[in-house]
Amino acid sequence: MIDGIKVIDFHGHVGRQDSIGMNDDPALMLHAMDQAGIDLACLFQIFHPDGTTGNDLAARFIAQHPDRFVAFAYISPTMPERMVPELTRAIDELNFVAIKLYPPFTPWEFNQPPWHPIYEFADERNLTIIFHTDHLRQNRPRFLADMAPRHPQANFVAGHSGNVPEARAEAIAAAQAHPNVYLETCSTFRTPGVIEQLVNEAGADRVLFGSDIPLMDPRSQLGKIITADISDEAKRLVLGGNAQRLLRL
Amino acid sequence: MTMTSLNFSARVSVFDANVRVGDLRDEPSPCRDRHQLLAEMDRHAVERALIYHAQAESISVIDGNCYLEDWLGDEGRLFPQWLVMPTADSLAQIQALHRQGRVNAVRLYDASLAGLPFRPWVYDGLLSWLSEARIPLWILLPDANIDDIVSTLRAYPNVVSVLVGAHYSHALWVRPVLHALPSAYLELSRYEPIGELEALRDEFGAERLVYGSWYWRYAMGPMLFYLHHTSLHENELALICAGNLERILQGDGNRD
Repeated sequence: MIDGIKVIDFHGHVGRQDSIGMNDDPALMLHAMDQAGIDLACLFQIFHPDGTTGNDLAARFIAQHPDRFVAFAYISPTMPERMVPELTRAIDELNFVAIKLYPPFTPWEFNQPPWHPIYEFADERNLTIIFHTDHLRQNRPRFLADMAPRHPQANFVAGHSGNVPEARAEAIAAAQAHPNVYLETCSTFRTPGVIEQLVNEAGADRVLFGSDIPLMDPRSQLGKIITADISDEAKRLVLGGNAQRLLRL
Repeated sequence: MTMTSLNFSARVSVFDANVRVGDLRDEPSPCRDRHQLLAEMDRHAVERALIYHAQAESISVIDGNCYLEDWLGDEGRLFPQWLVMPTADSLAQIQALHRQGRVNAVRLYDASLAGLPFRPWVYDGLLSWLSEARIPLWILLPDANIDDIVSTLRAYPNVVSVLVGAHYSHALWVRPVLHALPSAYLELSRYEPIGELEALRDEFGAERLVYGSWYWRYAMGPMLFYLHHTSLHENELALICAGNLERILQGDGNRD
């Protein structure tokens, strides 16, 4: 809790990646969250294209601390026949609360047909999808502006808010144009003024705090929000208010 | 659990070890002058900063060091860090400043961008002088040849170095480098692997860590916020935020 706000980290992972120091030790993660006042982290396991393997790992992980972690379902269009059945299982049986998609692990831009069954599923279920977005071919935030109006009951979140200036502008433009597009804040680029830009140009009600835990320590990423030159009311929305609304927590 | 609020201000004295001033040729600084920089420091309760000029890093060490003069002032909050490279005119500029008593830290221009390796046959003159004059050297880690850095600095054990800009992509480097270079300090501006601040404190001691924001490449507040929300003791926090840098700038950074 920070000043009475339930703080929700909208972007985190399950799994180790040893070459870059990513260690999903729950004790490490909870220590960092506790030190900074983060109540809940949203996690996904993206290393298995079948979906099932990673989702089961995520389910086992969050079951250790169900009051501190929730999971998002991961699937990949590289195994298209598994997408909708696995989404159905993850949402209905594992009680996952949203969907994570990672276009860099596929050959397709995320507005292309192989992805469409996922968006139709999310639209039918009023679910939120978070995408990895950046400046590279498959991951451009401008694709959100293609998909969001066609699926108005789903919510579309630009993970990293595009990461770099050109892609960030696309993410902001998509949020300005479509009420079901949101911007998430985690990034190794902690450029001055970015949080202020997201809030001022897209609106505080459209920005979500995320950290990329445990790839990155959530404390520096939380510090981006706390030390930004934005109002306290905007911070409350970014840190948890918007996520509570989207995830119906 | 540490109490966190919606607003943050440092609770210990802060001396930022890594601040860039001035414009890059393709990207203007968010601070147009020293007064705007001081206002940003005030917003985060940062008392002092070691500053270098963007043009010295990216265009010309000679010209950039001259541009730095306009940023320094006389209120004792902004301290110069001069860029240096292994050429006769660069070394002459730094030695002239040193004769005026104005050199407490230098930052290595990344000559590897021009294909010049960080090896003793290139850097002996510079490193020998820094060693003799007890002037600490800031070295960039992004894009560095870490084997060159380690093998060369080991040949000059009296040169105190501050390794700048370690990233999670360097996670496999950091521990071996700090073990191999006992006179090296780690600057923390973008070192974010989970729990690593506390883990490095446990393994190497708070005495080896130096807070820098690398403003304006990065925002000034987030890493300072992080440091204030750890299991560090207050005396360790004080060392990382100011004490270690003060010691390094006084020429007392060599721990052997």
